[in-house]
Amino acid sequence: MLINTVILFLRDALPIFVLLVYLYVHLAATKFWLLTCLAAGALLSLTYINQIHILDQWFDGNGIELSLWLSQLFVYLLTLFLAYGLSCNTASNKNNMYWVAGLMVSLTLVSKGSNFFLYFDGYLTQNNVLQSILVGTFLGLGICLSLGLLLYLAAHWVKQQLGPWATWLLIHIYATGQLVNALPLLVQVDLIDASATAWSSQQFVSDEFEFGHLFNVLLGYQATPSIAQVIVYIFALLIPLATFYWLKLRTVSHSGNKP
Amino acid sequence: MNKVLGCAALFLYLFCLPVLAAVTEYHVQLKDHLFFPSLISIPANQKVKLIIDNQDNTPEEFDSFSLNREKVIFGNRKATIFIGPLKPGEYDFFGEYNPNTARGTVLVEYQKQEEPDVN
Repeated sequence: MLINTVILFLRDALPIFVLLVYLYVHLAATKFWLLTCLAAGALLSLTYINQIHILDQWFDGNGIELSLWLSQLFVYLLTLFLAYGLSCNTASNKNNMYWVAGLMVSLTLVSKGSNFFLYFDGYLTQNNVLQSILVGTFLGLGICLSLGLLLYLAAHWVKQQLGPWATWLLIHIYATGQLVNALPLLVQVDLIDASATAWSSQQFVSDEFEFGHLFNVLLGYQATPSIAQVIVYIFALLIPLATFYWLKLRTVSHSGNKP
Repeated sequence: MNKVLGCAALFLYLFCLPVLAAVTEYHVQLKDHLFFPSLISIPANQKVKLIIDNQDNTPEEFDSFSLNREKVIFGNRKATIFIGPLKPGEYDFFGEYNPNTARGTVLVEYQKQEEPDVN
């Protein structure tokens, strides 16, 4: 129980902390924004849980997997909006970016936070587990908070040294990793057929240990990724980078050609 | 334009190839927080369908690191999970809400006609 609770925090709470830290640094956000996002996400998460029995019956029992995958896809697409906002640096656009970031946090809270509600709801029906759950919760929260703080300091330093595009890149890598992590949901319900393993690095960094979980959240690391996951990761990571770089070159060359 | 269409077709082929062959089903019951059977033998290199019937009143989460599968099965409901194709070996799964009791293994082995020819 205790170990499961800690693993739950590493798998489902840590991504929320990481995204919050990255966005907080990238947008130079305020505490008010942070609290509003958390409240909105928690409310959406509760609504999702309330309707989960109905959702479970949609699309021949695949509703939950589809909804979770779609939420990760939207988070990824919103990351691209963030990059667009960065390139059009106007005051009104800055406000829009706060909304975009808030939506990213809310969607992530729905997809990851719902697991918490289901998990604790499942345990509340059992006796003699409260102590294990509490200890696991404190341990898990402690790990997430300390990693979050370290990440905040690192991201802050990166932004000072390399500018906001570097922090956007961190968010982009994170969102791509989360999108790829959600692909097995579609394989699970046979919507895609992509189970051939590309390689196995279990002996170096296993999925089941702490570094495996950490790299999985930060980079989308998988010890045994499928070929589909590798292809999606490469394309989802590089195509937006290439596109924005090309757009930037085009903008520079046009402004250079102006009389 | 032709290159774009070709890439799109390749993408669709890789990820959306329809499965025309029937998939073998394996039924697992979850009762009193125990999986029955707890050992499921499936053939290697084939995709199979696991149908898990949760006969308890409380939800359980079918979880497996090695199979990379995670699915909440609500009380008195069934859920379907596709696994495979897998290489021969043992793949553990457990119920996340009752990990001490709800445990099982998927044993993947070559069927007799599929065994590699050692000669």
